[in-house]
Amino acid sequence: MTVTPATPSPPAQTTPAQTTTAPAPVPRRRLNLEPYLYLLPHAVLFFVFTVYPIGYGLYISLHRWDLLSGQQPFVGGEFYRNLFTPGTPQFDFFWKTLWNTTFFTLVSVPLLVAAALGLALLLHRPIFGRAFFRAVFFMPGILTVSVMGILWRWLFDNQIGLVNAARDALFHAPPIPWLSTEGLAWVPIVVGTVWWTVGFNMTLYLAALGNVPLSLYEAASLDGATPWQSFRFITVPMLAPVTLFVVVTTALASFQLFGQSLIITNGGPNRSTQSVIQYITEEGFTNAQYSSAAAMGFAFGLVMLVLTAAQFRMMARDVREGGA
Amino acid sequence: MTDLAPTPARPAAPRRRMPRDLPRFLLLCLLSLVFLAPVYWMISTSLKTEADAISSPVQWLPRHVTFENYVSVLTSPDGNILRWTGNSLFVALAFTVLHVLLCALTAYPLARMQFRGRNAWFWFILSSLMIPGIVTLIPTYIMMLNFGWINSYHALIWPGLSGVFGVFLLRQFFMGIPRELEEAARLDGANSLQILWRIILPLSIPSLVTLAVFAFMGSWNNFLWPLFTVTDVDKMTLPVGITTFSQRYVTEYGKLMASTTLAAVPALIAYLVAQRFLEAGLSTTGLKE
Repeated sequence: MTVTPATPSPPAQTTPAQTTTAPAPVPRRRLNLEPYLYLLPHAVLFFVFTVYPIGYGLYISLHRWDLLSGQQPFVGGEFYRNLFTPGTPQFDFFWKTLWNTTFFTLVSVPLLVAAALGLALLLHRPIFGRAFFRAVFFMPGILTVSVMGILWRWLFDNQIGLVNAARDALFHAPPIPWLSTEGLAWVPIVVGTVWWTVGFNMTLYLAALGNVPLSLYEAASLDGATPWQSFRFITVPMLAPVTLFVVVTTALASFQLFGQSLIITNGGPNRSTQSVIQYITEEGFTNAQYSSAAAMGFAFGLVMLVLTAAQFRMMARDVREGGA
Repeated sequence: MTDLAPTPARPAAPRRRMPRDLPRFLLLCLLSLVFLAPVYWMISTSLKTEADAISSPVQWLPRHVTFENYVSVLTSPDGNILRWTGNSLFVALAFTVLHVLLCALTAYPLARMQFRGRNAWFWFILSSLMIPGIVTLIPTYIMMLNFGWINSYHALIWPGLSGVFGVFLLRQFFMGIPRELEEAARLDGANSLQILWRIILPLSIPSLVTLAVFAFMGSWNNFLWPLFTVTDVDKMTLPVGITTFSQRYVTEYGKLMASTTLAAVPALIAYLVAQRFLEAGLSTTGLKE
């Protein structure tokens, strides 16, 4: 975070509009309260709902919070130690669900990136009905996670879901109990998530493809490049920045897995699809173990922080370049 | 569904394009069928009688089209879809208006005034973007308990207003507005609030609308937080309310699909109206989810 946004970007990089972006200097010497008054309303909310809860959460995680007795004795790092003490439910389920979430991320990110790129490449060049196709691929993303979840649970219903019905109609294959088989229960969650969110990434790729100069392809084709070579040596490198962005944001979103597995499988069977966020909410809200849940929130937050930092660096680069 | 958005202008194409593009076109048609099938199945199931919904072999088309599932869902004593939609609408609108206003007020001095601590404050609030939401989930929930805000719209509106992405977005946009306009207004005796209202905001409408759309969608689709802070059926938002139906109608697929179809309708309408804008906003801000 060494960027100084007050300085206008170097002239070599600026567009005409940006040469005039420096704020007007305030001539008077006396302290001007005006800017602070503008900042005040948001600052109050920021302190109450962002800064304070972080400290409060740390406090909660170091005490044994019991809403009923109203007593909160200090227990130090006990709830953090539980996470590293084999045999406690917190140890078993926190790491199990953290692995579940990681597994989901490892499977879904490559699919979501590759499928998005594939769709974008299919739609990049003009074709009849292009706007319609774009709309079809983008549209599922506007549904709320509950609609998406209920729909995919029904599609993969153990007995009469569409997937099993289609297998029966096409191959006379017996129904597969997708939702209640460990391992297989991930299929509706991953497939549903790809269907639900691939359109977002596709849109980012379409925008990026539009920025690749056509002259590069023309030059390559004059040099006798095959379509594969054009793709490999022009498209892929030119898309590298957006790919980085898509990978990080998709991984970040996948690590937040909650609604899909909650609704489609309710974390089952045998917690095999339970996400770490679902487990934290179960510990907090169902078991009323607020301190334990707060400690897990911090522990998982630390994992997320690494990913978030990567995204933040990319945003900081945006600030430097003056784009939004 | 019709092709609402006009196809972008095509460059003058060589005559031989069509045969070469045919496989690509057919592949796109096939993929579209795969993408639309779940939605088709949702609507089609919602129009079937319960016996037809679970019949084997499967009924690809509803044999007897019936709206009884919709009637039954809309008049159910277990919850009120229209009420949940109204709650969602109120919460999302209130949040959007307040959020855009707060972000604009905050971004304005950060972009266009000189004062002590300006950069420090900007980077301080921006760094909060690095704090994952899960860290503040439990403490904020306990704050809601202490405030008496559980089962109240307050819990669904206020905590989210401390968000700073919109501040960042608007500050970037405000910085690009030419200074001459502001100086001319100042010479005419305008104060800073007038400059914000008459000059900065009207020139920033695209970014304000982008922020508003994403704020509205974020609030409308919010699931985890309302799931735990609102347990009173009458106060629920649509995404949460609809899951209570799914627990009740777990074996009544026609009703289940009627309720999800109804829950999808507002978003579908909004999407068809705002489709091009939505996608443009997405690809320029790089905002996802």
